[in-house]
Amino acid sequence: MTFILAAAASGGSTLDAVLDGTAAVFLVVGGLMSLAAGIGLVRFPDLHSRMHAATKPQVLGLLMLVLAVCIMWRSWVWVAVALLAWGLMILTAPVSAHVVGRAGYRTKHLRRDLLTDDELATAVDRLSREKGVRRELNSD
Amino acid sequence: MLEIAYWITQALLAIGALCAVYRVFRGPSVLDRVISVDVILIIVGSVMLTDMAFRRHQDFILFVVITAMIGFLGAVAIARYVAAGPHQNAPEDATAPVPIVEPAAPGASAADESTSWFAALTKSGFVPKKEDKQ
Repeated sequence: MTFILAAAASGGSTLDAVLDGTAAVFLVVGGLMSLAAGIGLVRFPDLHSRMHAATKPQVLGLLMLVLAVCIMWRSWVWVAVALLAWGLMILTAPVSAHVVGRAGYRTKHLRRDLLTDDELATAVDRLSREKGVRRELNSD
Repeated sequence: MLEIAYWITQALLAIGALCAVYRVFRGPSVLDRVISVDVILIIVGSVMLTDMAFRRHQDFILFVVITAMIGFLGAVAIARYVAAGPHQNAPEDATAPVPIVEPAAPGASAADESTSWFAALTKSGFVPKKEDKQ
């Protein structure tokens, strides 16, 4: 913020140059996030590590591009709209990641030889031993 | 400088999209394809955002929001249907007439769509390997 104010004090064209440079850096970083997601999708061995790679452009890459757009537009009204787009994404990305990861664990699409600790296994094991906990387990 | 950054960004997004398309083609399971298609949708939204930043127009912002929502809904819906696979006693066809049962009989109906995936997992005979704590 201070460098923007300093640039504003020294003239409008310098401020434009600084803002354009910042937006350019944000654009390239956002593109690098998508490239990282693509490389991770190709290279990673199983579903959950691929999900880890796939969330990079969802949150950070989109934030970078939204910030670049907000800087380039130079309008406070459109900042709210652009941040609404990013807010919707950051609200829905954990839900979809949770559902996909849950389905992956449930259909056994994970490589157990790559896991160091399966924290969910203890819960599943305990529930499979304690028959009286869940009523729907005693139906058959 | 902004034009150089624009083309670099579009090239990076294109490479990322191509990698995601390769994973859609190769992906061993449906869920890999789901997350890859999600990434492709987000890259499409990123391309539109980049174009809006470079040419300074606001034409595509609604499409960016809609792209995010479509990706979310598709991922959740497909993962839901994958999770309710054939090993679970989900209702076979939704078009069949629903048998009339009392609503207040938990555990009695065999075709209840249980929200507990632990129940289905333990019913399927899946015994996880216990890891010793370090």
